[in-house]
Amino acid sequence: MKLKITYNKQHVDKPVLSNVVLRTGVPINILDAKVSPGGGEVIVDVLAPPSKVKEVVDAFISEGVGVKEITKAIEADASRCIACGACVSPCPVGAISLREGMVEVDEAKCVRCQACVNACPMKAIRVL
Amino acid sequence: MEEPRGAETLRRYEEINEKIKRGDAVVMTADEFVEYAKRYGVERAAKEVDVVTTGTFGAMCSSGAFLNFGHADPPIKMFKCWLNDVPAYKGLAAVDAYIGATAISETRGLEYGGGHVIEDLVSHKEIELRAEGYPTDCYPRRYVETTITIDDLNQAILVNPRNAYQRYNAATNSTDRVLYTYLGTLLPRFGNVMYSGSGQLSPLYKDRWLDTIGIGTRIFLGGGVGYVIGEGTQHKPQDALATLMVKGDLKQMKPKFLRGATIHRYGVTLYVGVGIPIPIINMRVAKSAAASDEEIFTEILDYGIPSRNRPVVRRVSYAELKSGKVLIGDREVPSSSMSSLAYAKMIAEELKKWIEEGSFLLTRPVELLPNYSEFKPMPLRRYEPKVRDVMTTKVVSARPEDGLKDVAKLIVNYGIDHVPIVDASGRLVGIVTSWDLAKAIALGKEKLEEIMTTRVITARPEEPLDLVVTRLQQHRISGMPVVDGEGKLVGIVTSDDIARLLRGRPL
Repeated sequence: MKLKITYNKQHVDKPVLSNVVLRTGVPINILDAKVSPGGGEVIVDVLAPPSKVKEVVDAFISEGVGVKEITKAIEADASRCIACGACVSPCPVGAISLREGMVEVDEAKCVRCQACVNACPMKAIRVL
Repeated sequence: MEEPRGAETLRRYEEINEKIKRGDAVVMTADEFVEYAKRYGVERAAKEVDVVTTGTFGAMCSSGAFLNFGHADPPIKMFKCWLNDVPAYKGLAAVDAYIGATAISETRGLEYGGGHVIEDLVSHKEIELRAEGYPTDCYPRRYVETTITIDDLNQAILVNPRNAYQRYNAATNSTDRVLYTYLGTLLPRFGNVMYSGSGQLSPLYKDRWLDTIGIGTRIFLGGGVGYVIGEGTQHKPQDALATLMVKGDLKQMKPKFLRGATIHRYGVTLYVGVGIPIPIINMRVAKSAAASDEEIFTEILDYGIPSRNRPVVRRVSYAELKSGKVLIGDREVPSSSMSSLAYAKMIAEELKKWIEEGSFLLTRPVELLPNYSEFKPMPLRRYEPKVRDVMTTKVVSARPEDGLKDVAKLIVNYGIDHVPIVDASGRLVGIVTSWDLAKAIALGKEKLEEIMTTRVITARPEEPLDLVVTRLQQHRISGMPVVDGEGKLVGIVTSDDIARLLRGRPL
């Protein structure tokens, strides 16, 4: 499951992620991180069954940071998408397929690398 | 004996059109015809089917539109002209212009261009028109700025010098960096294969020997009606690389089938929908219309080699390309298309509907297209400086086992910045710069092997300097070793050498 962790000014100098990993023992993959002295955002993929994910979410909350589940990583605009396939094979994790004249994204596989955003000639894909 | 091209031995155009008018012409899309011929044999399919419809929807850079704006009062002889800040060609009469698909906005760059202007015109959107002229007695105005829509124009005629390639080569990438090409994103180390073209739906492949498509052929173009006006540029039918020049009234077209596009780090283009009806006039046409994706082949080229003659990695069928997985070596790699198969199918279906409804009649071409045409390369008659002309051949080099101090001495004694590292046989294995040495001291390293760069950017003696300059900039480096075919160090070329060339030092 993917989570968006929101940092405030008072969290940026704390090892929040390490604390959570050490406390829960759950491996966490960092997909995207933008943290500056004033705060920031980190997108993580929690590689664990749902019960364990709950534990991770609680751990983040007790660290004082904001936690939000990400259910959809990218979105294709149906009015622009022509179902060509320009985004399909360049996806490094094979998360995109074509179905009935539209692209379909496997959210579980997506790592938010944005390769598809660049590859789309119709500029129909955006990262949420 | 072979029938002459265009022979109407199975049925004549007049008979087909009579049937279309009566509403009993038998029309199939190319997908349907392939299946039908597989099931019942091509002889029976040819006897029963009058017309096969085809379609393709892909990036077609050689596209554009002639526009006539009408005259302002007082009038202007437009000398330069922009539509939404995209320059249009003005080497024509006062208020005629040609907007090319690949022209780029002077304010927005690659994000918006001629292809988008054409899509916006067809969508009846308002467009900023700006033009400069030089005053003459008959055209006193110097400047004009207004907005227009396609409805304000006297004529808006799509005229595309090269569309609907019979097939197109597929692309892959042997290098270790991502390439952004007109065939899309190519992942490193043969990470994927990109292709274009609709295979068994491809208009020109369904009339492989050009029996029916010629000057005057009525076609589906951008959602409206268009015509073939000749062979396209780079037409090379003998290698199944025939192309078409087409025209059509932009005012009748639809934005769904005419789309502006930006190909990342490449440029702007126009996706054009083309559909051509193939009348089954003889058995040769029937057989080519029945060709399936398994029988239609193209080559996968290595776009990692920046040359006109890119090496062929392998031959591949459209069936394999469309399957989404292509075998390269012993590895299955993902493949996907730049053109839209979904839209190609839609176009073939739409054209079939038009014919079945009786609203679209077939035309016998006034003249067939050439079935042989050379595609010559550009002659380069001015001498272009090569790496060998400026490189230093007496290279100061070191061995991996040499000490840092020795290398530092070389750099100081010879006043150089780069020291290539070679093995006992003279093959390049690494490079060390003065910066690397500074870093080594800072980090307390002692051996050359620990600090040298082993993935070295190199040049070949016969390479044009133009490419080396691009590579220096790309990697933000100031020089690179020159190696021969066996990887042996033969020289070094630096930005200083290139700078000297610019100062006019004789070669």
